[in-house]
Amino acid sequence: MISVAALIKENRIPSNFFDYNAYVKGDLEIGLLENRRGDRLIAVPDTLISSLYAGLAKETGQASRLVLFNCGKWWGKNFYTRFTESLEEYYSQSLAEMDMITFIQSLKECWLTHGWGKFEFDPQHQAQGFILVKTYNSPYVQVIAGNTLPTGYLEAGILTSFFTRLTGRELLAVQTTCESLGASYNTYIIGLPERLQIVDSFLAEGLAHETILQRVLK
Amino acid sequence: MMPKIQELINQAQDRYLATDELGLMESYISSLPDRLQLYKLIRDREIDILQAVANQVPAELANVTDEELESGIKNLILVLRYSSMAMLLNDENFLKQRLLNWLEGIMSMRDMRRLNETLYKLLNQELKKQFSSTQLLLIQPLITAAQVTLIY
Repeated sequence: MISVAALIKENRIPSNFFDYNAYVKGDLEIGLLENRRGDRLIAVPDTLISSLYAGLAKETGQASRLVLFNCGKWWGKNFYTRFTESLEEYYSQSLAEMDMITFIQSLKECWLTHGWGKFEFDPQHQAQGFILVKTYNSPYVQVIAGNTLPTGYLEAGILTSFFTRLTGRELLAVQTTCESLGASYNTYIIGLPERLQIVDSFLAEGLAHETILQRVLK
Repeated sequence: MMPKIQELINQAQDRYLATDELGLMESYISSLPDRLQLYKLIRDREIDILQAVANQVPAELANVTDEELESGIKNLILVLRYSSMAMLLNDENFLKQRLLNWLEGIMSMRDMRRLNETLYKLLNQELKKQFSSTQLLLIQPLITAAQVTLIY
């Protein structure tokens, strides 16, 4: 027999930490927008992102992809720390005790509430060592004239270090479909680098996501 | 109702409200005493209602573990709390946007269907026992919305 009184003893049943209405706060009088933990939030103008991309491309040329990917990795490392701290605090649970569903659902909500678009997690190929992530309406993929490769380097970087930290194994995220190339969402395949490094050359050959996925699954 | 009233409030920058618009506000405001009263009742009987539901589950579903039942009841506590607030605000979207979207995501990945069907059936029975038919008119549609979203 379970006791309902004991369940609500602390009188708080946590649900969605990243609920938009509860998450975004701020004191506009003093010029601050904050999340519910008091960390600063800022709205990044779309034009700033395209200016950063354009500036980087001008200054570093081809290397700008790598720069963005590495920026994404740094971001992902810190994002992982903040994200897990927030959840552990909110659910009064360590990450190890937390169930995977709550964790992934929170990640989706976090993505959405920060205005980074919709995030979908596809564990279908987990047994074969790959996780797929889809993002919709990403602010970080930009149309670059004449470009034929996916441009979500920042997102690939953030997913790389996020899932590396989460699993404790060195992982890599590679993008195989991109909104900037007319796809309806961005797809990232996440897995061991030695199995995914070849994807770059598949992309250069112009192979489609399905073909690439089939080849890396072999 | 609440989003409509919010819209009316935003009209202050342009004009005074028309009579029929004020009527909308008036009818909401005059329904508030009933809403407040029901809200207090549910708040004070929260544990009784949900304990009664929890107690009846083992007889209906013999193989449910305590852990599953606790998780089901926790979600039900949330649904009743958010439904009560949505009832007070007369805003079904409060429940949908702030809780059901979340619970739907959590539950779609777990097989809680049979347990939830039983939990909602028992909760509905319990609400019928505890509240008058006019009170049920205020809260029941919200519980049903949750039930429909989360089970079907």
